[in-house]
Amino acid sequence: MSAPPHALSFARNPMIRKELRQRLRERRGWILPSLYLVVVAAVATFAYYEMTASEGGHIQGAEIGVMMFLVAAYTQLSLLLLLSPIFSAGALTIEKEQRTLPALLVTLLGGYRIWWGKLVASLLFVFLLLVAALPILSTAFAFGGISLWPVFSATMTTVIILLTINAISLYWSSAFRRSVVATAVSYVTVVILTIVTFIIFLATMSASKATTWTHLSFLKKLPLYCNPVFFLTLSFSPVKMLYPDWFISLGIFAGLGAIATALTLWNLSRSGESG
Amino acid sequence: MIEVEQLRKVYAPGRGLDGFSLSVKAGELCGLVGPNGAGKTTLIKILSTLVRPDSGRARVAGIDVTRDALAAKSLIGYMPDQPGLYQDMRVREYLEFFSDAFGIPPSQRAASVDSALESSGLGPRASSFVEELSFGMKQRLLLWKTLIHSPKLLLLDEPATGLDPLARIELREHLKKLHASGITILISSHILSDLEDICTRVAFINDGRNAVDSAGSKVFDIEHQAAASALYEIGVIGDAEAAARAAGAIPNARVLESTAGRLMVEISGDETAAAEFLKELITRGTVVTRFDHPASVLEERYRRLFGSRVQ
Repeated sequence: MSAPPHALSFARNPMIRKELRQRLRERRGWILPSLYLVVVAAVATFAYYEMTASEGGHIQGAEIGVMMFLVAAYTQLSLLLLLSPIFSAGALTIEKEQRTLPALLVTLLGGYRIWWGKLVASLLFVFLLLVAALPILSTAFAFGGISLWPVFSATMTTVIILLTINAISLYWSSAFRRSVVATAVSYVTVVILTIVTFIIFLATMSASKATTWTHLSFLKKLPLYCNPVFFLTLSFSPVKMLYPDWFISLGIFAGLGAIATALTLWNLSRSGESG
Repeated sequence: MIEVEQLRKVYAPGRGLDGFSLSVKAGELCGLVGPNGAGKTTLIKILSTLVRPDSGRARVAGIDVTRDALAAKSLIGYMPDQPGLYQDMRVREYLEFFSDAFGIPPSQRAASVDSALESSGLGPRASSFVEELSFGMKQRLLLWKTLIHSPKLLLLDEPATGLDPLARIELREHLKKLHASGITILISSHILSDLEDICTRVAFINDGRNAVDSAGSKVFDIEHQAAASALYEIGVIGDAEAAARAAGAIPNARVLESTAGRLMVEISGDETAAAEFLKELITRGTVVTRFDHPASVLEERYRRLFGSRVQ
């Protein structure tokens, strides 16, 4: 018997193989990606027809390209924010519900390998959706107006956002015993990050005398820095303009993910007491 | 193999362990009995590294399970009281997963899985999904999953719960074979007849502490019990109190219990000593209708230790 592979080892972590095998056997393993692609494609097509119809055919191809890219990127983020908790919020609670967690905890895997396996498996599935939708996102190239950079930057930013949301959902999964509760709380978290932060920003803006973004204090901008939609919007900027706003959002999302990870590992180390 | 000293773990007042001690030698098959909530599961969870004790010391093969959990885990096979299974995995996949999780090198994985399939008798069902197995088969799969990394110590928490009589007999036979192969086993169970059949010793636990019987013993040594002393159930006619006094006055005999028409007496020595005792008791005027060992010695001891709690 030897020590198990390194905690972050991707291919040799048995948790990752087990999780992926189980997920792909579920019916939702192929239904959700299919539905996802249909919705993203339908929204992009709808946006195209809306634009060409409203402008009476006098619109530039580059404008269509930019608009289709933006619509596809925001639709993709919205859908993935909705789907992510489904894959990650139940990842640890399912082990508690089916009473398999103690058997996992007494193996040589340890809490961090279990966490890593669960995170990678849930992310891989979300990334599968992301990659599957890239051709739809890339149709914008056919119309022009879009370079490779915004596609790359938006995709990377979406990945970072999903990494954080998955880490937070996994934390809720470690904190609660039932999948339905962990999933509900994960959705509340998504709503807080996407809607509540925006409302708070609007409220502080209306009370503020500052008229431009640069004149706003950091504290007043903070709710928006925590907003995934705003973070994605920042990623559309040219490379030179990413600093400082995109990096501040990056720091906040990375920090949230790191805190969630630390708390999840703490909860896992104490799971044997209750499970 | 197991050294537990003054182990304490309090979940809530009256729940958990409160200074329990136990020593189990390598190769023993030790039973752990006590009422519900006595602390059996907590003890087994501490030994399996799932729970950290508040104080005290727990060692497995000289390794402190709290300080060096990883080293301890490689020596321990733990089967919880209500184990779960991955129903959507195939039997072979399930065993392969735990083989990998215990760090068995890929080159040895197939051999260890094949060995588990053969020993458990699940070879013909290797490609079946776990959910398709019968309850008894699932229990066998769990037991051999627990043994996949060849542990030196097997911790079983109520393994017979929910099993039908045939599956229980099968489990007993498997445990006897494992014991004969040299594995140390600590098993908690409420099925005392099973424990009496397979265990070499049985430890009593109550309210998180060692339960001590009237002889001051914390552990009931089943193997050596017959040689040192034996329990006898005696049916008498007439004044039971007078009979108890008469029995108590005979050397090497100790009256443990006296109820209407029935005495429970512990007699030191072999069967010749018991025959001498019976002869002397009759000589002293007691009318004896029955003289035999109780149906289950362990059950009798359990009843005397925890009887008041049952009432």
